Amino acid sequence: MGASGLTRILAVASNTYRETVRERVLYNLVVFAFLMTLSGLLLSELSIREDEKIVKDVGLAAMDIFGTLIALFIGVGLVSKEIDRRSLHPLLSRPLRRRELLLGKFAGLGFTLLVNLGAMTAGLYLTLFATGRGPEPQLLKAVYGLYLGLLLVVALALLFSTLTSSVLAAVCTFSLVVAGRFSDVIRGMQDVIPGAPTWLVRLLYFAVPNFRNFDFKAQVVYGDPVPWAGLAWVTLYAAAYGAVALSLAEAALRHKDLP
Amino acid sequence: MRASRPLWVFLIPLVPLVQIRVDGLLERPEPRDEILYLRTGRQLKRLVPGFEYLLADVYWLRTVQYFGRERLFSKDQRYELLHPLIEITTDLDPRLRIAYKYGAIFLCERRPVGKGDPEAGIRILEKGVRNLPRDWRLRQDLGYFRYLFLGDAKGGAAVLLEAARLPGAAFWLASLAETMLDKSADRGTAREIWRRTYEQEEEGFLKDNALDNLRRLDALDAVESLNAAVERFRKRQGRPPRDSRELAADPPEGGRLADPTGVPFAYDPQEGRFAIARESRLWRGGK
Repeated sequence: MGASGLTRILAVASNTYRETVRERVLYNLVVFAFLMTLSGLLLSELSIREDEKIVKDVGLAAMDIFGTLIALFIGVGLVSKEIDRRSLHPLLSRPLRRRELLLGKFAGLGFTLLVNLGAMTAGLYLTLFATGRGPEPQLLKAVYGLYLGLLLVVALALLFSTLTSSVLAAVCTFSLVVAGRFSDVIRGMQDVIPGAPTWLVRLLYFAVPNFRNFDFKAQVVYGDPVPWAGLAWVTLYAAAYGAVALSLAEAALRHKDLP
Repeated sequence: MRASRPLWVFLIPLVPLVQIRVDGLLERPEPRDEILYLRTGRQLKRLVPGFEYLLADVYWLRTVQYFGRERLFSKDQRYELLHPLIEITTDLDPRLRIAYKYGAIFLCERRPVGKGDPEAGIRILEKGVRNLPRDWRLRQDLGYFRYLFLGDAKGGAAVLLEAARLPGAAFWLASLAETMLDKSADRGTAREIWRRTYEQEEEGFLKDNALDNLRRLDALDAVESLNAAVERFRKRQGRPPRDSRELAADPPEGGRLADPTGVPFAYDPQEGRFAIARESRLWRGGK
C-alpha cells in the first residue's frame, strides 16, 4: 500500500468520522455516559467514605458500557448501510480497494471513539476534581485499555456488517463481546463440564476475543501497578485479533455480489 | 401543528388531575420486606464480568441504606439482610476495606445500634484479613472485636500480635495485646481500645460509635457506684430507696444520676437497681 493508498484510507476515514458524528445515537449515548459519570458524585454522597473509588468505578464503567454501545451500534451500520443504500457500488467503482475502504471505515469510527472517550475522560477528571482530587495519570492506562477493547468491537462489528444485515450484525457482535467478557469462564469450562475435551476448550478460549485483557479498571482504581509491558502485549493482541477480523471482513466483502 | 397547540395546553394539566384521581381511588399496598434475589456474590460476579467493582459499590450503597433504614425507621430492627448484603459486597470486591470494617461494626454492635451478631461480624473481619493479609488495621479490628464482643482475650491478643508484626503497624499494638491478656475482663482495657479507635478514625460513624462506647463505659462505672450506694442504703434502712432522691443522704462517688449524654439513669425501686435508660443512645439491648 503506497502513499496514494494511505490518502484514500484517510479520505474514507475522514468521511466516516463526519458521518458518525452526525449520528444521533452517538450524542444520546455520550449524554448518558456523562450523566452516569456525574451520578458518581451523588452515589459517593450516599456511601460512607470511598467516594473517590465510587466516582472512578462509575466513570470507568460508563466509558466501558457506553463506548461499547457506540462502537457496536455505529460500527454495524458502517458497511451494511452502504450495501443497503447501494452507495457501496459507486464507491468501489472508483480506484478504492475493499481493504482501503474497510481500514478507512475502521479508522474513522476509531477516531470518533477516541474523541468521545477523550471527552468522557475529561468528564471523569472534572468529576474527580469536584470531589477535591488532583489529576491522576494512572487512570489513563485504564482508559487506554478500554479504547483497545472498543477498537476490537469496531473490527468485529465491521466483520459482521459485511456478512449480514445491521440488526443481525449487532446481535452477533454483541454476543461475541459478551462471550469475550466471559473468557475466564470458557477457560475454566472443564470445572463445570468435566467431560469437555481439552482441545475444544482451548479452541474456544483462543477463538473468542478475550475482552478481559483490556480491563484494567480494578488495578487503576486500587492504585495497583499496570506494567507497560502488559499494555504493550494487550495492544499487540488487539492489533492481531483486529487484523484477523478486518481481513475476514475484506474476504467477505470480496465475495459479495459487488462490482 | 398550530391548530393543535391549544389542545396540549389543556392536556398538560389533565395529567396531574387524573393522577390525583388515581391516587384517591387506588389503594397502594405497603412495600413488602426487602428481598435479596441472589444470596451469594460469587453467582453475581459471574453475571457481570468486568463490572464486579461497580456492582460492589452498588451493593455497598444498598448495605449502608439498608442499615440506616433499619436502624432509624424499622420497629423491630431485624437487620436480616445485613449479613448477606455485606457478604455479597465483599465477594464482588474482596478489597473493599470499608465493607469489612463498617460491616463488622454494623453486625457486632448490640441493638439498637447494630444487629447484635458478633459471630457474623467476626467472620466478616476474618474474611477481610484473608483477602487483605497485609492490612494491619483490619487485623487490629479483628483483635479488638474478638475481645470486645466475644470476650476472647486470648484470641484477640494473638491477632493483635499478628497485626503488630505487619509493616507500618502501630507500635503500641504489642503492649495492648499484653494488657488484654493480663486484664482480660477489665473495663479499662475496653476503654483503651475504644480510645485508640476514637483517635484513629476520621469523623463519622466509627468515631461517633467509639465515643458512644467510651461514654457507655463511663455510664456503666457510674451505674456500678450508684448500685453500690443502693446496697449501702438497703443495709442501713432494710429496704431499697424509693427513688434516686432518697440516695441524696448517701451520694455515690461522683454523684452523677445521669449518663454522659445527659439522660437520667433508669431506676427500678422493686429491685433497687440502676441501669442505663432505654431512651439513652448509650443503651444496648441483647441480640
